[in-house]
Amino acid sequence: MISHEIVSELESVVGEKYVSDDPEITYLYHYDFITAEPEGKCDIAIMPNSAEEVQEIIKIANKNRIPVVPWVSGINFGSIATPRRGGIVIDMRRMNRILEVNEDDMYAVLEGGVTWADLKGYLDKHHPNFKAGITWSPPGTGVIPSCLCYGMFDLGMQGGTGAEFVNGIEAVLGSGELVRVGSCSLSNYWYGRQPLPDLTGLFIGWEGTTGVVTKMGIKLWPKLPYRADFLPIAQTVEEGVPLMLKLSKAGLGIIDLCIINLGWAQSLMCLDQNNVANDPVELGLPDFLGLISTQAYTEKQHEAQCEAIRDICNEFNLDPLSVKEQMESFPENLQGLMGHLTPSTGGQTPMQFWGCWNFSRGGGGEWIGSYVSTRNVAKYYNLSREVCIKYNRPPQFYGRLLFGGHYCVARTNINFNKNDPEEIKTARKVLHEIHEAVQELDGVVMYKPPIWAVQYYKDKTIPGTTKLIEDIKKVVDPNNIMNPGQGIGGD
Amino acid sequence: MEEINTVEKEPIEYLEGKGITKLTKVATQQKLDRNKNLDYYKDIFYQCGKCGTCRTAYHEEGWARICPSGEFGKFEAYYLGGKNLLAWAVSSETLKWTEKLANIFYQCSLCLACTQQCQIPEIHNFAGEWLMAMREDAVKLGFGPMPEQARYSEHVLKENNPYMEKHADRLNWLPSHIKQTPDAKLAYFVGCTSSYREQGIAIATAEILNSLQVDFKILEEEKCCSSPVYMTGQTEKAKEIAENNVKAYKDAGIEQIITSCAGCYRTWKDTYPNKFGLDHGIEITHLPEFLLKKLSSGELKINNNKTPMKITYHDPCHIGRHMGIYEQPRDVLRRIPGIELIEMDRNRQNAWCCGSGGGVRSAFNELSSFAANERIQEAKETTAEAIVSCCPFCLNQFKNNIKNNKIQALDLSELVKRVI
Ligand code: SF4
Ligand code: SF4
Repeated sequence: MISHEIVSELESVVGEKYVSDDPEITYLYHYDFITAEPEGKCDIAIMPNSAEEVQEIIKIANKNRIPVVPWVSGINFGSIATPRRGGIVIDMRRMNRILEVNEDDMYAVLEGGVTWADLKGYLDKHHPNFKAGITWSPPGTGVIPSCLCYGMFDLGMQGGTGAEFVNGIEAVLGSGELVRVGSCSLSNYWYGRQPLPDLTGLFIGWEGTTGVVTKMGIKLWPKLPYRADFLPIAQTVEEGVPLMLKLSKAGLGIIDLCIINLGWAQSLMCLDQNNVANDPVELGLPDFLGLISTQAYTEKQHEAQCEAIRDICNEFNLDPLSVKEQMESFPENLQGLMGHLTPSTGGQTPMQFWGCWNFSRGGGGEWIGSYVSTRNVAKYYNLSREVCIKYNRPPQFYGRLLFGGHYCVARTNINFNKNDPEEIKTARKVLHEIHEAVQELDGVVMYKPPIWAVQYYKDKTIPGTTKLIEDIKKVVDPNNIMNPGQGIGGD
Repeated sequence: MEEINTVEKEPIEYLEGKGITKLTKVATQQKLDRNKNLDYYKDIFYQCGKCGTCRTAYHEEGWARICPSGEFGKFEAYYLGGKNLLAWAVSSETLKWTEKLANIFYQCSLCLACTQQCQIPEIHNFAGEWLMAMREDAVKLGFGPMPEQARYSEHVLKENNPYMEKHADRLNWLPSHIKQTPDAKLAYFVGCTSSYREQGIAIATAEILNSLQVDFKILEEEKCCSSPVYMTGQTEKAKEIAENNVKAYKDAGIEQIITSCAGCYRTWKDTYPNKFGLDHGIEITHLPEFLLKKLSSGELKINNNKTPMKITYHDPCHIGRHMGIYEQPRDVLRRIPGIELIEMDRNRQNAWCCGSGGGVRSAFNELSSFAANERIQEAKETTAEAIVSCCPFCLNQFKNNIKNNKIQALDLSELVKRVI
């Protein structure tokens, strides 16, 4: 399917240096090198430098009916950027410019390949009073994919998921057409998606099956001078969750509200398997850590907010200690547990989430991560925990309350040795079982779903909606070249 | 109610950007040895998740890009993550060794800036070992070194330098006023770059030694330390050279070597004993280390009447990340009156490589100049008048790439010579 002529044609678009069909180069795009999902195949990797070049690539792909996969880092725990049908991987990393920061309307306009490190570095240097919501993912991962795939940021309570941070999008559709959606479609401002029809939905949640996003406007937030990070600890997740739900409805300047179990916290330390508690509950260790981050504009406001948080924690008989104080009470080799996440302990995001895939020194990790009603988050944990324990895996759970507490995310990670085929098989089994178990709860919908989970949701979706999705897909990607085989919009 | 300390009376200062200091408490790492072959490290490669953390200065303000190979080559393969996974692929026989693969591994200055960023302890501490081991395998299988590196290595074996010069000319730089002591136990190991290309360093160093009345000699038998051969994966050849060197210096009764070259220092001090097993017992001192000692003891006196100068310091990879020496050269600079030291954004562990090491300059000229120009630009942005380093190879690289004289390049030895 891929001929030398196609490679030469692509070379004439981006230059010889930025196209490769060498196996040593394409190898690094054929698999995400983390998950237990099957490998794919990348025939050509290409690095455009502009939206126009992306358009040209898409035209060539359409002409030759070659699949195209947009790509920044390829890490998403659902393997959704793994090319399932071969073809061209468009690696966006040359397009990593931050084009504009508008402090008045508080947004930044980014190119498609900007990473979290790029964005954080730029803001720290040039706009130190503003911050972006940032994922707890490695610095080399992409900002735009994160927004498009409902990634969660450390301003989740304040701003919602990454998708809600999106102000506008420029994209090359699968048809090759360049479009803009949001206020940027008719003005130079990228302040928002209102009041026109909100077409950002053509790209959010589609896993790259509709087009290649070349620019995005994202919301920024003021960095307020007062901040505190509390880490109440409870014996069980069930005990801790009601506190978090109450806090989510209390305002109090809370920007982030996370429900973490000890397994997940341990994974942040890159401990060896034999140094971790597989089942902390059985050992009588406290299993719940609640991260509460609050910020304020004035000292008075800050004190009042902190006092109210403390009072609510006390209502639930939980010590509202700061992250720093909690860490200091941990054994020395565990003091890094959460410390590098929060500014008050000298940490920051993004962070290399090595534990997540490296917990057992096998370099493999995957999750069942779902959006879920806040009512069901503790149940979600317990169901997934049971499966993990059954397979002798340390359950690593983390949940986040989002957008003022309107919904939340719940996810259970597992680790495995990605060099061991048997371990991969077991990992798949565990993941499938967790997925099945949590479906017992209404409203559980996986985000960044791997291919095996996609069909499940397709079957569940009401027919009218499925048809609408299929119709839209045909309009924006008539030759079905965009990331075929992946996502809800895929075939 | 119990008092909580989180409510500060002072505005809470954001500490973002300083987190790396907190990461000293990384978890226990697997016990690994250095200087082993590829097979030894094969269960570490796949710990890598291709997460890209090794591309930027981790948790440092600015999150600057730090990998010359990746920033030039762009594809994942050129960053450490890509190299780890390619190493996994060949060691598990998923991919075959090819010229292209060798080319990828050689397009890397082995500056190790990447390893400083990855927080997986085994990768952080040992990735440099398998970057070398991959080159060794490339050589064994006939895919390495690169042709230009093979050419200079042949010359090293014949004429003891990689610069296509004659051994007989090695001491041509030596001015007649330099006083040597024939029975000295201390040798000044000049190195090839200072002998043939950056002779100002050799002269300055010898003059400093003379002015301190240190008894020293320069051996006529001095030959290439083997670094350019070793760093390109030709371990056996390099070891042979090293053995001859050790023998020559031992036979000459040398007990201490001072060198003004970062590469020679690293090679004599680390590679000879730890890789080649040559326990030479000779004390190896890098010039800044020696100067600092002499400044501290008061033996080296700095002239006060010098004009002020703004400088920036470039950390050579071979003494910085390879040997952990960051502060001594800075301490020397700070003791020179009139010198204002302005740091570049990327300094110490995060310093951007000058692009000359690892055989890159001979084999990949474009990458090499790209790296040098990036560093020169960064130095200029500090408003410094000079970029000072303590490695002749870095100096030569900067001099060759500075175009409009808006900044000058100097070696620490030259600067010190001016003020004593
Ligand atoms: S070497 Fe470390 S930082 Fe680099 S990609 Fe691999 S895991 Fe990430
Ligand atoms: S050693 Fe230097 S050039 Fe090589 S991959 Fe690491 S950072 Fe890049």
